[in-house]
Amino acid sequence: MKKIVIIGGGIAGLEVSRLLLQEGFPVTLIEKSSHLGGNIRNYAYLFPDFTPSEEILKNYTSLPGNADLQLLLNTEIEKIDFSSRPYTLFSNDGIAISADSIIIATGYQIFDARLKEEFGYGIYDGVITSVEMEKMIREQHIVTPYGKAPRRIAFIHCVGSRDAKVGNTYCSRLCCITAIKQAIETKKLLPQAEIFCFYIDLRMYGLTFEELYLNAQKEYNIQFVRGRLSETSEMIDKRLIIKAEDTLIGRPLKMMTDMLVLMVGMEASNFSKQFAYHNGLEIGEHGFFKPLNQFNARGKSQKEGIYFAGTSIGPMSVAETIEHAQATALSTISYLKGKEN
Amino acid sequence: MTKIADMTENSPEQRKKIYWKDYIKYIPEDDYFFFRSCIRQTFFPGAEQAFLAILKNNLHKNYFDDPRLTTCTGIGYHSDIIPLETLHTMIARHFSIMNESGYSNLVISCVTTFGVMIEVLNTWHEFPETLEKARENLQKTTGRTFELPKAIAHASDIIYLYRDEIAKQSVYKLINKETGKPLKVVDHVGCHYAKIFPHHGIGGAEFPKVLSEMIKTWGGEVVDYPERRHCCGFGFRQYLIKESRGYSLTHAQIKFESMQPFHPDLILTNCPGCNMFMDRWQYVIQETTGKVYSSSGNGIPVLTYEELAALLLGYDPVQIGLFMHQTDVLPLLEKLGIQFNKNEYAKLREESLDLAKIL
Amino acid sequence: MIPMDEIYADPRIRENMNACINCGVCTALCPAADYYDYEPRYVERIILMRNADALEELMSSDYIWYCGQCMSCKARCPRQNAPGTVISALRYWSQKLGLFIRSPKGRQQLIIKQNIGKNIYELGYCVHPSRLTMEEHPEQGPVWQWILNNLEKVHALVDGNIDKNGPGPMRKIPEESLQEIRSILEGTGAIDLWNQIEMEVINTDNDQNC
Ligand SMILES: Cc1cc2nc3c(=O)[nH]c(=O)nc-3n(C[C@H](O)[C@H](O)[C@H](O)COP(=O)(O)OP(=O)(O)OC[C@H]3O[C@@H](n4cnc5c(N)ncnc54)[C@H](O)[C@@H]3O)c2cc1C
Ligand code: SF4
Ligand code: SF4
Ligand code: SF4
Repeated sequence: MKKIVIIGGGIAGLEVSRLLLQEGFPVTLIEKSSHLGGNIRNYAYLFPDFTPSEEILKNYTSLPGNADLQLLLNTEIEKIDFSSRPYTLFSNDGIAISADSIIIATGYQIFDARLKEEFGYGIYDGVITSVEMEKMIREQHIVTPYGKAPRRIAFIHCVGSRDAKVGNTYCSRLCCITAIKQAIETKKLLPQAEIFCFYIDLRMYGLTFEELYLNAQKEYNIQFVRGRLSETSEMIDKRLIIKAEDTLIGRPLKMMTDMLVLMVGMEASNFSKQFAYHNGLEIGEHGFFKPLNQFNARGKSQKEGIYFAGTSIGPMSVAETIEHAQATALSTISYLKGKEN
Repeated sequence: MTKIADMTENSPEQRKKIYWKDYIKYIPEDDYFFFRSCIRQTFFPGAEQAFLAILKNNLHKNYFDDPRLTTCTGIGYHSDIIPLETLHTMIARHFSIMNESGYSNLVISCVTTFGVMIEVLNTWHEFPETLEKARENLQKTTGRTFELPKAIAHASDIIYLYRDEIAKQSVYKLINKETGKPLKVVDHVGCHYAKIFPHHGIGGAEFPKVLSEMIKTWGGEVVDYPERRHCCGFGFRQYLIKESRGYSLTHAQIKFESMQPFHPDLILTNCPGCNMFMDRWQYVIQETTGKVYSSSGNGIPVLTYEELAALLLGYDPVQIGLFMHQTDVLPLLEKLGIQFNKNEYAKLREESLDLAKIL
Repeated sequence: MIPMDEIYADPRIRENMNACINCGVCTALCPAADYYDYEPRYVERIILMRNADALEELMSSDYIWYCGQCMSCKARCPRQNAPGTVISALRYWSQKLGLFIRSPKGRQQLIIKQNIGKNIYELGYCVHPSRLTMEEHPEQGPVWQWILNNLEKVHALVDGNIDKNGPGPMRKIPEESLQEIRSILEGTGAIDLWNQIEMEVINTDNDQNC
């Protein structure tokens, strides 16, 4: 029996595991943290329809009890030796694991907003990230760092994306719709608050996303300003001042706000960033793993038996992640059955 | 041994830490070829002299003050009467003179000069044919040849580098003598110091540390105010042409209005132009609207980093030219408890302000 | 027809043409946009359109003369453009092609030439106390007036060397150095530019008088 190892217990790794187990292939799932679920554990409700993330995770609760699953939590893979078959994976605490086939589902990490210095994250307390906002939404309690209900909140799109200054020139795809999701959630919790979204382009790529945008405008009175944030500063009373241009009017705009939510972009995980230095797989120009091609081999690597699943190859929504994981599972099964390489 | 300027990380009010490390740049330690500023010499000649005096007497550094240097033509360039090629050749001539004097560490007094020099070096790097052209033009017009400097620093970088040594030798601290509390200082860093090439400025373009670290090291409290990064308003042609001078006033005013709620005791600058504008526009605002931005005196005193360093080191306020400021610095001298010949200072101020009554 | 290829070969334009995302970050912090009805983003847009008529119109208008050359826009642009640097090039070409006389602000280049240009040529300084009169610079205030009246004394108090030989602040620039910079001004196009400014403005003034 061939040995299959899945690195990363996020939604992608879980979906691949579930399918392989269902088809009768024993797998080893390695997760660096102490939990399964990955990033969506931190998010409350998911776009496009506000499904609680727990509901998605529920599909996998029976997995750890499966006798065919070897689960290694708190184990971070640092290196893979491709020089001989079976391949060997090395964890940070020195464990070596051999594998005939590996599925890399190491996901993404969020952009470190401190790098975008002029936005004031880590300097002014009222500036938070979208991930921190998810936490407040989950706790159903949105307050400024000074314990007050914010009267005005501005969501800032494209933080750490589409920006040569910070080295990330790509679009993270999901933050526009995530901003709308969060803006609506915020308005539900704070009906009195004024909410603004500052964007460059609104990328409503999903079939139902545009409706959500319309809803945000019509039902929730969320204001959209076409203009990127230029800088944040703080007044003596701790309110924030933001500068942008309303590019539809063509005039600079200065606005006071109690809270600023930075829609941080999705970056390649450290695992893939570091991979470029000590391993043989190809990394694309944005730091994510580079699939064999962008059409019919988005889950395949250049190496035999090595596959990718989910956001390890680039930003994706939960639905896309699951679909990608399913496609990868199918490729893996075909490979294990000797039908494909 | 050369050393890289260290970047201390203690910054209570600005908790930004690690990324400032990205902006570490090399600052030469000694053997400076000093490049004067037209604006500084015109308005605050004592400040440049104070810088050289500190280099010599307090830091025991070697420098050279070459009379053959002229304007960098940066003001002409940014007000669009100096073509790019002329600018390149002028800069090349300065480098040639530096080579001739046997120096390779250029230390620049003016932020405009600092900006254009870095910009020119960058253009030569990106477009090598422009460097060739500059060599050819310089040869053709003056018979000179030149090599690029090994290091370029702004004079404020040097004071920043030796801020601890200056603190050690200081007679005074940025502390209110009466209350024992740190003085509140706002900084204004000239736009061309780091906005053109952030990696050439200590701390980068957004949170330049060059002045704030001096303030902290010398005992003061740095006050971040909303329009800290806003341009002082020089605007080159906007100021030079009388009709558009309101541009300059407007932007200085934006800054004063923004800092006033924080009650700063002092504005510290590193650019000759900014220093003059922030000094003079307070006077104009007071004359035209009656508004004064300080709680005492006739405005918030505006000092250059050389003047401040010299003051704390015990140099005489008259000798460093503080009487040449329009906005009176006396309230600051009193807060600091500076011992000096008050009569001489008062006499000079009286003479100059008497004139105000006649005007 | 304006010489598009030559204009686009200017290193200042070449280096700052990374396409524009139209985000407005530059306009948001631009002091000129705060003061005038002006947008660096618009300048970037015209330059990227590569349309000769639009560019000529821009270079013939007041628009390019609003910028204050602070370069704040360069630090922030997510596409690493520098509208301020592009403006420098456009202003040069506007003068070179004689388009600057079509706008009131463009014609003011004569004033700059007669002040800053003259100072550089005659004194080797771009500014000099003797050229900063109270009539032209009332904002300088009474202390400045007093300094002007007492230049020698004031400079002596601060270890200056005004208008004298040798090193030091406001020293007299040695004759050989002046010769060198004049030769550079002549040999690299500055004097031609100045003559062009002078001639064009005088000619239009005459035309208007007829
Ligand atoms: C603020 C925000 C809100 C979002 N909201 C939504 C939403 O509402 N709807 C939606 O569809 N999508 C949303 N997304 C996108 C969603 O988070 C992703 O689609 C999804 O999490 C991708 O799952 P993944 O398994 O590919 O990656 P991850 O969730 O990143 O999982 C990767 C796992 O791999 C583990 N790992 C990494 N490296 C190693 C290693 N070396 N060794 C072992 N384990 C490792 C990690 O610990 C992690 O558990 C949002 C994203 C953000 C940033
Ligand atoms: S999805 Fe929207 S917010 Fe995110 S990077 Fe793309 S355009 Fe910017
Ligand atoms: S350089 Fe010009 S365009 Fe750029 S911010 Fe300054 S004034 Fe505006
Ligand atoms: S900041 Fe750059 S990309 Fe954005 S509008 Fe200005 S020039 Fe274009």
